[in-house]
Amino acid sequence: MSAAPTLPVEQPPGAWALLVNGIVHENPVFRLALSLCPAVAVTTTVANGIILGIAVLAVQVLSSVTVTLARNAIHPRVRIPVYTIIIAVWVSAIDMALAAFAPALYAQVGLYVKLIVAFAIIISRLEVFASRQPLVPTFFDGLGMGLGFLVALVLIGAVRELLGAGALLGFTVLPVRPLLFFALPAGGFFTIALLMAFFQYLERRGGGKPRAASAGGGHHG
Amino acid sequence: MSELVHIDGVPRERPSPAEVARIAFNLTVVCLLGGVVLGGVYVGTERIEAAGRLAGERRALGELLSLREGEPLLVVEQSLDAAHDAVVYRASTWGDEHGAAREQAFTLDGTPRSSAPGEVRTLTPLGRMFVAGTPAAPRGFVLEGESRGYKNRIRFFVALDAQFTVCGVRVLEHEEDPGLGAEVATRAFLGQYLGRDSASIARLDVTRDPLPEDWRAALAALANTEPGPWQQAHAALLARESAQPVHAVTGATISSRALTSGVKRTIEHFRRRWALVRPWLEGTS
Repeated sequence: MSAAPTLPVEQPPGAWALLVNGIVHENPVFRLALSLCPAVAVTTTVANGIILGIAVLAVQVLSSVTVTLARNAIHPRVRIPVYTIIIAVWVSAIDMALAAFAPALYAQVGLYVKLIVAFAIIISRLEVFASRQPLVPTFFDGLGMGLGFLVALVLIGAVRELLGAGALLGFTVLPVRPLLFFALPAGGFFTIALLMAFFQYLERRGGGKPRAASAGGGHHG
Repeated sequence: MSELVHIDGVPRERPSPAEVARIAFNLTVVCLLGGVVLGGVYVGTERIEAAGRLAGERRALGELLSLREGEPLLVVEQSLDAAHDAVVYRASTWGDEHGAAREQAFTLDGTPRSSAPGEVRTLTPLGRMFVAGTPAAPRGFVLEGESRGYKNRIRFFVALDAQFTVCGVRVLEHEEDPGLGAEVATRAFLGQYLGRDSASIARLDVTRDPLPEDWRAALAALANTEPGPWQQAHAALLARESAQPVHAVTGATISSRALTSGVKRTIEHFRRRWALVRPWLEGTS
Protein backbone atom coordinates (compact mmCIF):
# COMPACT_ATOMS: atom_id res chain seq x y z
CA MET A 1 0.00 0.00 0.00
CA SER A 2 2.77 2.44 -0.80
CA ALA A 3 0.20 4.66 -2.47
CA ALA A 4 -1.90 4.84 0.66
CA PRO A 5 -2.26 8.46 1.59
CA THR A 6 -1.73 9.51 5.17
CA LEU A 7 -4.09 12.06 6.58
CA PRO A 8 -3.44 13.64 9.96
CA VAL A 9 -4.80 11.26 12.57
CA GLU A 10 -5.42 13.80 15.31
CA GLN A 11 -7.58 16.34 13.53
CA PRO A 12 -9.76 14.93 10.75
CA PRO A 13 -10.74 17.47 8.07
CA GLY A 14 -14.31 18.64 7.66
CA ALA A 15 -16.97 16.78 5.70
CA TRP A 16 -16.72 18.92 2.58
CA ALA A 17 -12.92 18.69 2.50
CA LEU A 18 -13.15 14.90 2.78
CA LEU A 19 -15.63 14.67 -0.10
CA VAL A 20 -13.50 16.87 -2.38
CA ASN A 21 -10.42 14.94 -1.32
CA GLY A 22 -11.98 11.65 -2.42
CA ILE A 23 -13.36 12.98 -5.69
CA VAL A 24 -10.45 15.20 -6.80
CA HIS A 25 -7.23 15.32 -4.78
CA GLU A 26 -7.06 11.62 -3.96
CA ASN A 27 -9.35 10.23 -6.63
CA PRO A 28 -8.93 6.45 -6.31
CA VAL A 29 -8.42 5.87 -10.03
CA PHE A 30 -6.83 9.07 -11.35
CA ARG A 31 -4.70 10.04 -8.36
CA LEU A 32 -4.09 6.86 -6.33
CA ALA A 33 -4.09 4.56 -9.39
CA LEU A 34 -5.93 1.85 -7.46
CA SER A 35 -8.35 -0.73 -8.90
CA LEU A 36 -7.38 0.00 -12.50
CA CYS A 37 -8.27 -3.50 -13.72
CA PRO A 38 -12.01 -3.20 -13.06
CA ALA A 39 -11.86 0.44 -14.16
CA VAL A 40 -10.73 -0.80 -17.57
CA ALA A 41 -12.84 -3.95 -17.69
CA VAL A 42 -16.31 -2.53 -17.11
CA THR A 43 -16.10 0.95 -18.59
CA THR A 44 -16.95 0.18 -22.21
CA THR A 45 -20.23 2.00 -21.56
CA VAL A 46 -21.42 4.71 -19.16
CA ALA A 47 -24.24 2.52 -17.81
CA ASN A 48 -21.81 -0.21 -16.72
CA GLY A 49 -19.61 2.40 -15.06
CA ILE A 50 -22.56 3.84 -13.16
CA ILE A 51 -23.76 0.55 -11.76
CA LEU A 52 -20.32 -0.69 -10.72
CA GLY A 53 -19.55 2.77 -9.29
CA ILE A 54 -22.73 2.69 -7.21
CA ALA A 55 -21.90 -0.81 -5.96
CA VAL A 56 -18.39 0.30 -4.95
CA LEU A 57 -19.78 3.42 -3.29
CA ALA A 58 -22.23 1.36 -1.24
CA VAL A 59 -19.62 -1.22 -0.26
CA GLN A 60 -17.07 1.46 0.67
CA VAL A 61 -19.47 3.42 2.88
CA LEU A 62 -20.93 0.33 4.56
CA SER A 63 -17.52 -1.25 5.19
CA SER A 64 -15.96 1.99 6.46
CA VAL A 65 -18.86 2.61 8.82
CA THR A 66 -18.78 -0.99 10.08
CA VAL A 67 -15.05 -0.84 10.73
CA THR A 68 -15.14 2.50 12.51
CA LEU A 69 -17.97 1.33 14.76
CA ALA A 70 -16.17 -1.90 15.59
CA ARG A 71 -12.63 -0.50 15.57
CA ASN A 72 -12.10 -0.91 19.31
CA ALA A 73 -13.39 -4.48 19.30
CA ILE A 74 -11.26 -5.75 16.41
CA HIS A 75 -8.09 -7.46 17.57
CA PRO A 76 -5.13 -5.78 15.80
CA ARG A 77 -3.51 -9.12 14.94
CA VAL A 78 -6.46 -10.24 12.83
CA ARG A 79 -7.64 -6.87 11.56
CA ILE A 80 -6.90 -7.63 7.88
CA PRO A 81 -8.89 -10.92 7.85
CA VAL A 82 -11.69 -9.15 9.73
CA TYR A 83 -11.73 -6.30 7.21
CA THR A 84 -11.83 -8.84 4.40
CA ILE A 85 -14.81 -10.62 5.95
CA ILE A 86 -16.62 -7.32 6.47
CA ILE A 87 -16.03 -6.31 2.84
CA ALA A 88 -17.07 -9.76 1.60
CA VAL A 89 -20.32 -9.60 3.59
CA TRP A 90 -21.27 -6.21 2.19
CA VAL A 91 -20.26 -7.17 -1.35
CA SER A 92 -22.45 -10.28 -1.17
CA ALA A 93 -25.32 -8.23 0.23
CA ILE A 94 -25.01 -5.63 -2.56
CA ASP A 95 -24.67 -8.43 -5.10
CA MET A 96 -27.95 -10.00 -3.98
CA ALA A 97 -29.68 -6.62 -3.84
CA LEU A 98 -28.58 -5.72 -7.37
CA ALA A 99 -29.62 -9.13 -8.70
CA ALA A 100 -33.07 -8.55 -7.20
CA PHE A 101 -33.65 -4.89 -8.04
CA ALA A 102 -31.71 -4.33 -11.28
CA PRO A 103 -31.56 -7.73 -13.01
CA ALA A 104 -30.94 -6.34 -16.51
CA LEU A 105 -27.94 -4.26 -15.45
CA TYR A 106 -26.77 -6.99 -13.12
CA ALA A 107 -26.55 -9.38 -16.06
CA GLN A 108 -23.97 -7.00 -17.59
CA VAL A 109 -21.70 -6.34 -14.61
CA GLY A 110 -22.61 -9.10 -12.13
CA LEU A 111 -19.26 -10.77 -12.52
CA TYR A 112 -17.37 -7.61 -11.57
CA VAL A 113 -19.60 -6.84 -8.59
CA LYS A 114 -18.35 -10.02 -6.91
CA LEU A 115 -14.77 -8.88 -7.56
CA ILE A 116 -15.25 -5.75 -5.44
CA VAL A 117 -14.08 -7.93 -2.53
CA ALA A 118 -10.56 -7.65 -3.91
CA PHE A 119 -10.62 -3.93 -4.78
CA ALA A 120 -7.55 -2.35 -3.22
CA ILE A 121 -9.23 1.00 -2.69
CA ILE A 122 -11.76 -0.36 -0.19
CA ILE A 123 -9.42 -2.18 2.16
CA SER A 124 -6.89 0.65 1.95
CA ARG A 125 -9.50 3.15 3.19
CA LEU A 126 -10.39 0.80 6.03
CA GLU A 127 -6.75 0.45 7.09
CA VAL A 128 -5.74 4.07 6.54
CA PHE A 129 -8.84 5.92 7.66
CA ALA A 130 -11.76 3.99 9.12
CA SER A 131 -9.73 2.05 11.68
CA ARG A 132 -8.41 5.31 13.21
CA GLN A 133 -11.17 7.87 12.86
CA PRO A 134 -14.60 8.37 14.45
CA LEU A 135 -17.88 7.72 12.66
CA VAL A 136 -18.69 11.04 10.98
CA PRO A 137 -15.35 11.72 9.22
CA THR A 138 -15.17 8.03 8.26
CA PHE A 139 -18.60 8.20 6.66
CA PHE A 140 -17.61 11.22 4.57
CA ASP A 141 -14.26 9.70 3.66
CA GLY A 142 -16.01 6.54 2.44
CA LEU A 143 -18.60 8.61 0.59
CA GLY A 144 -15.92 10.78 -1.01
CA MET A 145 -13.81 7.82 -2.12
CA GLY A 146 -16.85 5.96 -3.43
CA LEU A 147 -18.02 9.05 -5.32
CA GLY A 148 -14.48 9.52 -6.64
CA PHE A 149 -14.52 5.99 -8.02
CA LEU A 150 -18.01 6.47 -9.46
CA VAL A 151 -17.03 9.75 -11.13
CA ALA A 152 -13.89 8.14 -12.54
CA LEU A 153 -15.81 5.18 -14.00
CA VAL A 154 -18.46 7.44 -15.52
CA LEU A 155 -15.80 9.70 -17.09
CA ILE A 156 -13.85 6.77 -18.52
CA GLY A 157 -17.08 5.13 -19.68
CA ALA A 158 -18.26 8.36 -21.34
CA VAL A 159 -15.01 8.82 -23.28
CA ARG A 160 -14.90 5.19 -24.37
CA GLU A 161 -18.58 4.89 -25.28
CA LEU A 162 -18.48 8.17 -27.21
CA LEU A 163 -15.31 7.39 -29.13
CA GLY A 164 -15.76 3.63 -29.40
CA ALA A 165 -19.48 3.36 -30.15
CA GLY A 166 -20.49 6.94 -30.98
CA ALA A 167 -23.10 6.78 -28.22
CA LEU A 168 -23.74 7.94 -24.67
CA LEU A 169 -25.82 5.93 -22.18
CA GLY A 170 -26.86 3.71 -25.07
CA PHE A 171 -28.21 6.59 -27.23
CA THR A 172 -26.41 7.12 -30.51
CA VAL A 173 -25.14 10.70 -30.55
CA LEU A 174 -22.56 10.55 -33.35
CA PRO A 175 -23.30 9.36 -36.90
CA VAL A 176 -20.08 7.29 -36.91
CA ARG A 177 -17.97 5.28 -34.53
CA PRO A 178 -14.91 7.56 -34.44
CA LEU A 179 -12.32 5.27 -32.85
CA LEU A 180 -13.41 1.69 -32.28
CA PHE A 181 -10.06 1.16 -30.55
CA PHE A 182 -11.35 2.91 -27.43
CA ALA A 183 -13.91 0.18 -26.80
CA LEU A 184 -11.11 -2.37 -26.48
CA PRO A 185 -9.19 -2.95 -23.21
CA ALA A 186 -6.05 -1.19 -24.49
CA GLY A 187 -8.17 1.85 -25.31
CA GLY A 188 -9.35 1.77 -21.69
CA PHE A 189 -5.78 2.18 -20.46
CA PHE A 190 -5.21 5.05 -22.88
CA THR A 191 -8.38 6.74 -21.66
CA ILE A 192 -7.30 6.39 -18.04
CA ALA A 193 -3.84 7.75 -18.84
CA LEU A 194 -5.27 10.77 -20.65
CA LEU A 195 -7.75 11.53 -17.86
CA MET A 196 -5.02 11.01 -15.27
CA ALA A 197 -2.86 13.56 -17.07
CA PHE A 198 -5.80 15.92 -17.11
CA PHE A 199 -6.31 15.54 -13.35
CA GLN A 200 -2.58 16.11 -12.82
CA TYR A 201 -2.82 19.29 -14.87
CA LEU A 202 -5.80 20.52 -12.82
CA GLU A 203 -3.93 19.82 -9.61
CA ARG A 204 -0.88 21.76 -10.75
CA ARG A 205 -2.95 24.71 -11.87
CA GLY A 206 -4.83 24.66 -8.58
CA GLY A 207 -1.50 24.98 -6.81
CA GLY A 208 -1.62 21.52 -5.28
CA LYS A 209 1.51 19.48 -5.17
CA PRO A 210 1.91 17.11 -8.12
CA ARG A 211 2.29 13.51 -7.13
CA ALA A 212 3.59 10.43 -8.81
CA ALA A 213 0.18 9.02 -9.53
CA SER A 214 1.61 5.66 -10.53
CA ALA A 215 3.14 5.03 -7.12
CA GLY A 216 2.37 1.32 -7.23
CA GLY A 217 -0.91 -0.29 -6.39
CA GLY A 218 -2.09 -0.51 -9.97
CA HIS A 219 -1.62 -4.23 -9.89
CA HIS A 220 -4.25 -4.63 -7.20
CA GLY A 221 -7.54 -6.04 -8.32
CA MET B 1 6.27 -14.97 27.48
CA SER B 2 9.62 -14.34 25.89
CA GLU B 3 9.46 -17.07 23.25
CA LEU B 4 9.68 -15.64 19.73
CA VAL B 5 7.93 -16.80 16.58
CA HIS B 6 8.70 -15.52 13.11
CA ILE B 7 5.88 -14.07 11.08
CA ASP B 8 6.95 -12.78 7.64
CA GLY B 9 10.54 -12.99 8.86
CA VAL B 10 9.85 -10.62 11.76
CA PRO B 11 10.33 -11.99 15.27
CA ARG B 12 7.29 -11.56 17.46
CA GLU B 13 6.23 -12.73 20.86
CA ARG B 14 4.21 -15.92 20.93
CA PRO B 15 0.63 -14.94 21.81
CA SER B 16 -0.64 -16.12 25.17
CA PRO B 17 -3.51 -18.66 25.25
CA ALA B 18 -5.82 -15.91 26.47
CA GLU B 19 -4.94 -13.78 23.48
CA VAL B 20 -5.43 -16.70 21.09
CA ALA B 21 -8.84 -17.24 22.65
CA ARG B 22 -9.68 -13.55 22.21
CA ILE B 23 -8.65 -13.68 18.55
CA ALA B 24 -10.72 -16.80 17.96
CA PHE B 25 -13.70 -15.21 19.69
CA ASN B 26 -13.23 -12.06 17.62
CA LEU B 27 -13.25 -13.97 14.34
CA THR B 28 -16.20 -16.12 15.41
CA VAL B 29 -18.30 -13.07 16.27
CA VAL B 30 -17.43 -11.40 12.96
CA CYS B 31 -18.42 -14.50 11.00
CA LEU B 32 -21.64 -14.93 12.96
CA LEU B 33 -22.66 -11.31 12.44
CA GLY B 34 -21.74 -11.57 8.76
CA GLY B 35 -23.92 -14.66 8.47
CA VAL B 36 -26.84 -12.84 10.08
CA VAL B 37 -26.51 -9.89 7.68
CA LEU B 38 -26.28 -12.15 4.64
CA GLY B 39 -29.21 -14.27 5.81
CA GLY B 40 -31.30 -11.15 6.32
CA VAL B 41 -30.49 -9.76 2.88
CA TYR B 42 -31.16 -13.12 1.26
CA VAL B 43 -34.57 -13.42 2.88
CA GLY B 44 -35.34 -9.83 1.91
CA THR B 45 -34.33 -10.13 -1.76
CA GLU B 46 -35.12 -13.74 -2.61
CA ARG B 47 -38.79 -13.20 -3.40
CA ILE B 48 -38.12 -10.09 -5.51
CA GLU B 49 -35.40 -11.87 -7.45
CA ALA B 50 -37.66 -14.86 -8.07
CA ALA B 51 -40.43 -12.55 -9.29
CA GLY B 52 -37.96 -10.82 -11.61
CA ARG B 53 -36.77 -14.16 -12.97
CA LEU B 54 -40.35 -15.24 -13.58
CA ALA B 55 -41.10 -12.02 -15.45
CA GLY B 56 -37.97 -12.55 -17.55
CA GLU B 57 -39.05 -16.09 -18.39
CA ARG B 58 -42.51 -14.92 -19.29
CA ARG B 59 -41.06 -12.31 -21.65
CA ALA B 60 -38.70 -14.85 -23.23
CA LEU B 61 -41.55 -17.33 -23.71
CA GLY B 62 -43.79 -14.67 -25.20
CA GLU B 63 -41.13 -13.69 -27.71
CA LEU B 64 -40.01 -17.20 -28.60
CA LEU B 65 -43.54 -18.45 -29.19
CA SER B 66 -44.97 -15.09 -30.41
CA LEU B 67 -47.70 -15.46 -27.80
CA ARG B 68 -50.66 -13.14 -27.93
CA GLU B 69 -51.64 -11.25 -24.80
CA GLY B 70 -53.45 -13.62 -22.45
CA GLU B 71 -52.97 -16.68 -24.65
CA PRO B 72 -52.86 -19.77 -22.43
CA LEU B 73 -49.67 -21.78 -22.28
CA LEU B 74 -49.46 -25.34 -21.10
CA VAL B 75 -46.48 -26.08 -18.88
CA VAL B 76 -45.33 -29.62 -18.19
CA GLU B 77 -42.83 -30.04 -15.38
CA GLN B 78 -40.71 -33.12 -15.79
CA SER B 79 -38.96 -34.75 -12.87
CA LEU B 80 -37.05 -37.94 -12.36
CA ASP B 81 -38.17 -40.41 -9.73
CA ALA B 82 -34.91 -42.34 -9.62
CA ALA B 83 -36.01 -44.85 -6.98
CA HIS B 84 -38.82 -46.13 -9.22
CA ASP B 85 -37.09 -45.66 -12.59
CA ALA B 86 -39.84 -43.29 -13.63
CA VAL B 87 -40.30 -39.79 -14.99
CA VAL B 88 -43.16 -37.84 -13.45
CA TYR B 89 -45.00 -35.27 -15.59
CA ARG B 90 -47.08 -32.55 -14.03
CA ALA B 91 -49.14 -30.40 -16.36
CA SER B 92 -50.74 -27.06 -15.55
CA THR B 93 -51.51 -23.72 -17.11
CA TRP B 94 -48.50 -21.35 -16.99
CA GLY B 95 -48.81 -18.58 -14.44
CA ASP B 96 -51.86 -20.16 -12.81
CA GLU B 97 -50.36 -21.61 -9.62
CA HIS B 98 -53.71 -22.34 -8.02
CA GLY B 99 -55.26 -23.92 -11.08
CA ALA B 100 -55.77 -27.63 -11.54
CA ALA B 101 -52.60 -29.63 -12.15
CA ARG B 102 -52.61 -33.19 -13.36
CA GLU B 103 -49.85 -35.65 -12.91
CA GLN B 104 -48.76 -38.85 -14.58
CA ALA B 105 -45.67 -41.00 -14.24
CA PHE B 106 -44.13 -43.16 -16.94
CA THR B 107 -41.43 -45.74 -16.34
CA LEU B 108 -38.27 -45.37 -18.39
CA ASP B 109 -39.49 -47.99 -20.90
CA GLY B 110 -42.62 -45.94 -21.47
CA THR B 111 -45.40 -47.69 -19.55
CA PRO B 112 -47.70 -45.58 -17.39
CA ARG B 113 -47.11 -46.04 -13.71
CA SER B 114 -49.44 -45.21 -10.85
CA SER B 115 -47.87 -44.63 -7.48
CA ALA B 116 -48.89 -46.67 -4.46
CA PRO B 117 -50.64 -44.64 -1.73
CA GLY B 118 -48.22 -43.24 0.85
CA GLU B 119 -45.23 -43.93 -1.36
CA VAL B 120 -42.21 -41.70 -0.71
CA ARG B 121 -40.71 -40.15 -3.84
CA THR B 122 -37.60 -38.06 -4.30
CA LEU B 123 -38.01 -35.99 -7.43
CA THR B 124 -35.15 -34.41 -9.39
CA PRO B 125 -36.29 -31.68 -11.78
CA LEU B 126 -35.55 -32.40 -15.45
CA GLY B 127 -36.66 -29.02 -16.77
CA ARG B 128 -40.00 -27.89 -18.11
CA MET B 129 -41.64 -27.95 -21.49
CA PHE B 130 -44.07 -25.27 -22.61
CA VAL B 131 -46.71 -25.99 -25.23
CA ALA B 132 -48.50 -23.24 -27.16
CA GLY B 133 -51.79 -24.24 -28.75
CA THR B 134 -53.41 -27.50 -27.71
CA PRO B 135 -51.74 -30.89 -27.24
CA ALA B 136 -53.73 -32.16 -30.24
CA ALA B 137 -52.70 -29.23 -32.45
CA PRO B 138 -49.57 -27.68 -30.95
CA ARG B 139 -48.40 -24.38 -32.42
CA GLY B 140 -44.94 -24.47 -30.90
CA PHE B 141 -42.86 -25.64 -27.98
CA VAL B 142 -40.29 -24.15 -25.65
CA LEU B 143 -38.03 -26.58 -23.81
CA GLU B 144 -36.00 -25.70 -20.78
CA GLY B 145 -32.58 -27.28 -20.68
CA GLU B 146 -29.28 -26.97 -18.98
CA SER B 147 -25.75 -28.01 -19.67
CA ARG B 148 -22.48 -27.91 -17.81
CA GLY B 149 -20.53 -24.93 -19.17
CA TYR B 150 -16.91 -23.94 -18.67
CA LYS B 151 -17.55 -22.58 -15.18
CA ASN B 152 -21.08 -23.24 -14.10
CA ARG B 153 -24.30 -24.48 -15.59
CA ILE B 154 -25.73 -22.83 -18.69
CA ARG B 155 -29.52 -22.68 -18.53
CA PHE B 156 -31.36 -22.10 -21.78
CA PHE B 157 -34.68 -22.22 -23.64
CA VAL B 158 -35.02 -23.95 -27.03
CA ALA B 159 -38.07 -23.05 -29.12
CA LEU B 160 -39.38 -25.54 -31.67
CA ASP B 161 -42.21 -25.17 -34.14
CA ALA B 162 -44.86 -27.86 -34.59
CA GLN B 163 -42.53 -29.81 -36.93
CA PHE B 164 -39.73 -29.77 -34.30
CA THR B 165 -37.60 -27.31 -36.29
CA VAL B 166 -35.58 -24.97 -34.09
CA CYS B 167 -37.01 -21.46 -34.23
CA GLY B 168 -35.06 -19.90 -31.38
CA VAL B 169 -32.53 -20.55 -28.62
CA ARG B 170 -32.07 -18.23 -25.70
CA VAL B 171 -29.52 -18.47 -22.88
CA LEU B 172 -31.18 -17.56 -19.59
CA GLU B 173 -28.33 -17.96 -17.17
CA HIS B 174 -24.62 -18.54 -17.53
CA GLU B 175 -21.33 -17.61 -15.91
CA GLU B 176 -19.01 -17.99 -18.88
CA ASP B 177 -16.10 -15.58 -19.36
CA PRO B 178 -17.03 -12.19 -20.82
CA GLY B 179 -15.64 -11.79 -24.32
CA LEU B 180 -15.04 -15.54 -24.69
CA GLY B 181 -17.56 -18.13 -23.50
CA ALA B 182 -20.17 -15.45 -22.89
CA GLU B 183 -20.33 -14.98 -26.67
CA VAL B 184 -22.41 -18.17 -26.90
CA ALA B 185 -25.31 -16.19 -25.40
CA THR B 186 -25.28 -13.64 -28.24
CA ARG B 187 -27.90 -13.64 -30.96
CA ALA B 188 -25.18 -14.03 -33.58
CA PHE B 189 -23.99 -17.34 -32.11
CA LEU B 190 -27.47 -18.65 -31.29
CA GLY B 191 -28.56 -17.83 -34.84
CA GLN B 192 -26.57 -20.85 -35.94
CA TYR B 193 -29.23 -23.14 -34.46
CA LEU B 194 -32.13 -21.50 -36.31
CA GLY B 195 -33.93 -23.52 -38.94
CA ARG B 196 -32.32 -26.86 -38.12
CA ASP B 197 -34.82 -29.71 -38.23
CA SER B 198 -34.81 -32.60 -35.80
CA ALA B 199 -32.84 -34.89 -38.13
CA SER B 200 -30.05 -32.36 -38.55
CA ILE B 201 -30.07 -31.62 -34.81
CA ALA B 202 -29.51 -35.31 -34.07
CA ARG B 203 -26.32 -35.18 -36.17
CA LEU B 204 -25.27 -31.77 -34.90
CA ASP B 205 -21.58 -31.27 -34.22
CA VAL B 206 -19.25 -28.36 -33.39
CA THR B 207 -16.32 -27.30 -35.54
CA ARG B 208 -13.44 -24.94 -34.84
CA ASP B 209 -13.26 -23.90 -38.50
CA PRO B 210 -13.82 -20.19 -39.01
CA LEU B 211 -17.23 -18.98 -40.14
CA PRO B 212 -17.58 -18.41 -43.89
CA GLU B 213 -17.57 -14.66 -44.49
CA ASP B 214 -21.13 -14.40 -45.91
CA TRP B 215 -22.52 -16.48 -43.02
CA ARG B 216 -20.68 -14.36 -40.47
CA ALA B 217 -22.14 -11.18 -41.97
CA ALA B 218 -25.65 -12.67 -41.97
CA LEU B 219 -25.35 -13.73 -38.32
CA ALA B 220 -24.03 -10.31 -37.32
CA ALA B 221 -27.14 -8.75 -38.88
CA LEU B 222 -29.25 -10.86 -36.54
CA ALA B 223 -28.28 -8.54 -33.67
CA ASN B 224 -30.91 -6.03 -34.78
CA THR B 225 -33.31 -8.14 -36.86
CA GLU B 226 -36.07 -10.40 -35.59
CA PRO B 227 -35.42 -14.11 -36.24
CA GLY B 228 -38.55 -14.59 -38.37
CA PRO B 229 -37.84 -11.98 -41.09
CA TRP B 230 -34.12 -12.79 -40.85
CA GLN B 231 -34.78 -16.45 -41.68
CA GLN B 232 -36.84 -15.45 -44.73
CA ALA B 233 -34.19 -13.00 -45.92
CA HIS B 234 -31.39 -15.55 -45.66
CA ALA B 235 -33.27 -18.70 -46.69
CA ALA B 236 -30.64 -19.86 -49.19
CA LEU B 237 -27.77 -19.34 -46.78
CA LEU B 238 -29.67 -21.12 -44.00
CA ALA B 239 -30.35 -24.09 -46.25
CA ARG B 240 -26.64 -24.34 -46.99
CA GLU B 241 -25.49 -23.86 -43.40
CA SER B 242 -28.02 -26.06 -41.63
CA ALA B 243 -26.17 -29.05 -43.06
CA GLN B 244 -22.95 -27.73 -41.54
CA PRO B 245 -21.79 -28.07 -37.94
CA VAL B 246 -22.02 -25.18 -35.46
CA HIS B 247 -18.95 -22.95 -35.60
CA ALA B 248 -17.44 -22.58 -32.14
CA VAL B 249 -16.68 -19.17 -30.69
CA THR B 250 -12.94 -18.61 -31.13
CA GLY B 251 -11.21 -19.45 -27.88
CA ALA B 252 -14.36 -20.84 -26.32
CA THR B 253 -14.74 -24.30 -27.81
CA ILE B 254 -15.76 -25.80 -24.45
CA SER B 255 -18.63 -23.35 -23.95
CA SER B 256 -19.74 -23.79 -27.57
CA ARG B 257 -19.73 -27.58 -27.28
CA ALA B 258 -21.48 -27.43 -23.90
CA LEU B 259 -24.38 -25.39 -25.24
CA THR B 260 -24.63 -27.39 -28.48
CA SER B 261 -24.69 -30.76 -26.74
CA GLY B 262 -27.21 -29.37 -24.26
CA VAL B 263 -29.52 -28.21 -27.05
CA LYS B 264 -29.14 -31.52 -28.84
CA ARG B 265 -29.84 -33.59 -25.72
CA THR B 266 -32.80 -31.44 -24.72
CA ILE B 267 -34.44 -31.85 -28.13
CA GLU B 268 -33.78 -35.60 -28.26
CA HIS B 269 -35.29 -36.12 -24.80
CA PHE B 270 -38.24 -33.97 -25.76
CA ARG B 271 -39.00 -36.00 -28.91
CA ARG B 272 -39.12 -39.22 -26.91
CA ARG B 273 -41.12 -37.70 -24.05
CA TRP B 274 -43.57 -35.85 -26.27
CA ALA B 275 -44.55 -39.11 -27.99
CA LEU B 276 -45.29 -40.46 -24.53
CA VAL B 277 -47.12 -37.57 -22.90
CA ARG B 278 -49.05 -36.26 -25.88
CA PRO B 279 -51.77 -38.97 -25.78
CA TRP B 280 -52.04 -38.52 -22.03
CA LEU B 281 -52.34 -34.71 -22.34
CA GLU B 282 -54.92 -35.05 -25.11
CA GLY B 283 -56.92 -37.50 -23.03
CA THR B 284 -57.05 -35.33 -19.93
CA SER B 285 -57.39 -31.81 -21.26
